Amino acid sequence: MAATGQSFYELYRRSSIGMALTDTLDDLISERRIEPQLAMKILANFDRSITEVLAEKVKARLTFKGHLDTYRFCDEVWTFLIKDVTFKMENSSQTVQADKVKIVSCNSKRPGDPQ
Amino acid sequence: MSNNQVGTVYQQIIQDVVESSRVDFEEGGVDEHVLEELKLVSLALRFAFWRRCGWQSKLSQLGVATFPWDPKPEPQPTISNPPTVPSNAGNYQSMGTPPINQPQSGLSMPQLSNGPRIKPEPGLESSQGMNQPSPFQNQPMPPIQNASAAAQRAAAHLQQSYGSRAAASINAIQSGGQPQQNGTPTMQQMQMMQQRAALAQAQAQSQGMQQGQRPQMTQEQYQRMMQQNAANQLAQQQARQNGQHPQNPNPNGQNGQNGYQGPPQTDGPGDEEEGFGVVMQGNEVMGRVEIDNMIRTQIESMGRHMEGGGLMLPLRELQSQRHLPSKSRKGKNADRGTGQMDGGDDDDVKNEELDEDAINSDLDDPDEGLNDEEDEDEGMGHIMLCMYDKVQRVKNKWFCVMKDGVLTVNGREYVFHKASGEYEW
Repeated sequence: MAATGQSFYELYRRSSIGMALTDTLDDLISERRIEPQLAMKILANFDRSITEVLAEKVKARLTFKGHLDTYRFCDEVWTFLIKDVTFKMENSSQTVQADKVKIVSCNSKRPGDPQ
Repeated sequence: MSNNQVGTVYQQIIQDVVESSRVDFEEGGVDEHVLEELKLVSLALRFAFWRRCGWQSKLSQLGVATFPWDPKPEPQPTISNPPTVPSNAGNYQSMGTPPINQPQSGLSMPQLSNGPRIKPEPGLESSQGMNQPSPFQNQPMPPIQNASAAAQRAAAHLQQSYGSRAAASINAIQSGGQPQQNGTPTMQQMQMMQQRAALAQAQAQSQGMQQGQRPQMTQEQYQRMMQQNAANQLAQQQARQNGQHPQNPNPNGQNGQNGYQGPPQTDGPGDEEEGFGVVMQGNEVMGRVEIDNMIRTQIESMGRHMEGGGLMLPLRELQSQRHLPSKSRKGKNADRGTGQMDGGDDDDVKNEELDEDAINSDLDDPDEGLNDEEDEDEGMGHIMLCMYDKVQRVKNKWFCVMKDGVLTVNGREYVFHKASGEYEW
């Protein structure tokens, strides 16, 4: 896994767990219990942690199909807006449907990042 | 199923983060108590505080999955406001920068919530008490005669007590309700640069508002703007017209509650709003000032955008600003001048209704709309955050291989190691 000191994507801060964390840190800061700099460090820890845990612990696979509405590739980040999308979870034959889903995706082969 | 995994995965993340943050806590010299609380996040929800506001319970409230800690005593439901900015990095950093009136040390500053005066000038400090024509504070459009009567009284007091030191205040008071048309375009640039300082000023401003000093503030603002344009003389003339003693205005800190001693333009943003309100209200003095305001509003909205929609503000401040203006003034938007504050937006609606010439409201509305959209977008929408291994396209067919992703759909959350997608454009 990546060594300490490497930077990780901040992408996952938008997930529910990341939002819950930033929310909590926001509360702590506004109550002046911690300093913003500390919150920054915690968030950086989160970036690393979620990247590692997702890579190491999660084995699930899924496939999805849909209609691509919008695509964008900017700064090595793909953004797709897919409509009428169906997700198929492997192993459970469960499907999830949604009118649209937005995909924000960073390059897994990041320079200097051995993932 | 990947949804079942979410709980354990997230718990591990939380533990991991807490463990790795421990060093940072110690290095940061943060109170042992807080450190203890952060530990508790991952261990057990023993403290009521974390039951209510902790990371885990916030996550549980989102209901995206079943978490290992959920079966324990139910967290008291609280309304959580998920941050609307994807990455709060910028905000946290900027919160630490000196110009903001946020203490670095985590000390509480109780007066912040009450709208503090910043660095009051010693001689003028108590003049604040005198500058209170309170009978008029809640009138939507104070009649000019009344206002000037009160203003004269206040001015007389000031003159008696402080002599020439209070000159500026007096001038401001006396010529209240007679806004001048003096807008210098450079104000906007200066204000842009001073937006941060405006945070503090906004507090002082809203206090001034409570005291019904809209006209004076306006005058004061304009005086400052004219500072290099022989504005002081004009103000003196006005003072004479009102039968008061002409004085040498001191553009800095004319008013007790607004005695910020920095560069004069620092006070600008907050006060200019005042000017705007009056210009719109009473007189037909429009034109350059008005146009200037329009431009400035746009710039400020840009600034507000960059500031993260007021996330930098302590919640306490935000809240107090949200209701202060609506209580103390009717329809006149006072806070809009200070870019970072969302508080003013509430008033915009009223402003539209009440203000026939509401030029600003047109400009502000799209801004609000944009923010709303962002909120939706970044809230609990359908979103997949992942990394891509491969993105290929053949004509209109796309094939993607994603990995290590978090998917939020229909209020549920899934994690996956690999996902392959096919979709046509």
